[in-house]
Amino acid sequence: MGGGETLRNDIRDLRVAAGLSQRELAEALSVSRQTVNSIETGRYDPSLPLAIAIAQHFRTTVEEIFHVDH
Amino acid sequence: MLTTELTARQKAAVLLVVAALLVAVLATGLLLQEHAPGNMGTGFLQGAGVALVAGAVVLWRVTRRSESATTFERAFTQTGDERDNSLLTRALAVQGLAAFLLTAAAVVAIGLGAETMMILFFLLVGQLAVGAVAFAVIARRS
Repeated sequence: MGGGETLRNDIRDLRVAAGLSQRELAEALSVSRQTVNSIETGRYDPSLPLAIAIAQHFRTTVEEIFHVDH
Repeated sequence: MLTTELTARQKAAVLLVVAALLVAVLATGLLLQEHAPGNMGTGFLQGAGVALVAGAVVLWRVTRRSESATTFERAFTQTGDERDNSLLTRALAVQGLAAFLLTAAAVVAIGLGAETMMILFFLLVGQLAVGAVAFAVIARRS
C-alpha cells in the first residue's frame, strides 16, 4: 500500500455474527487473542497466509474481508 | 502460528542451550573472580543467575501456562505467532540502530576521559533499556 492508505477489515462483525469470542477465533486460527484484537482494531495487518486462513474460516474471500481506504 | 508445545527436538535444543549457557556463565564468572577488579565476578554470577532463573520461569510459563503468557514471553521464546515475531524483529531493529549511536557516544565519553568500565556498563544497560522500551511501545501500537 502507498502512503495515506490504510487497511480495514470486517473481522469483528464476522466474528460477532458467528458467535465467537476473540479467544475462540484465535484458537481456531492458531494465533494469540492479542493478535486477533490487533487485527480487528486495524493496528496489525496480517500476513497473506493468515488473511487467507481468516477468510477460509468465515467461508469467504480475502477481498470480502479486507478493504483499502484511500 | 502459536507453538506452545515443544517438540522433542526443541526440548533437546533448549537443554543444550541451557547447559552451554550454564558452562559459559560459570567459566566467565570464575575468570572474572580471579582476574577482574573488585567484586565483578560475584556481580556477574548474581546477574547471570537472576537472568537464567527469569529465563526458566518464562520458558515454564509459555509451555505450561501458555494461555497467560505475555507477548514478550512468547516472542522471546519463539513460541508466538507472526505478530509476536514481527514485534520482536522491529524492537531488535530499533535496538540495533540505537546501538550505533550509543556506542559512538560511549567512544566519545571514553575519549573525553570517562572510566571505561563504567561506560561499558552503561552501554549494556542502555541497549537493554532501548530494546525493552522499543518492544513495549511497538507492542502497544500494533
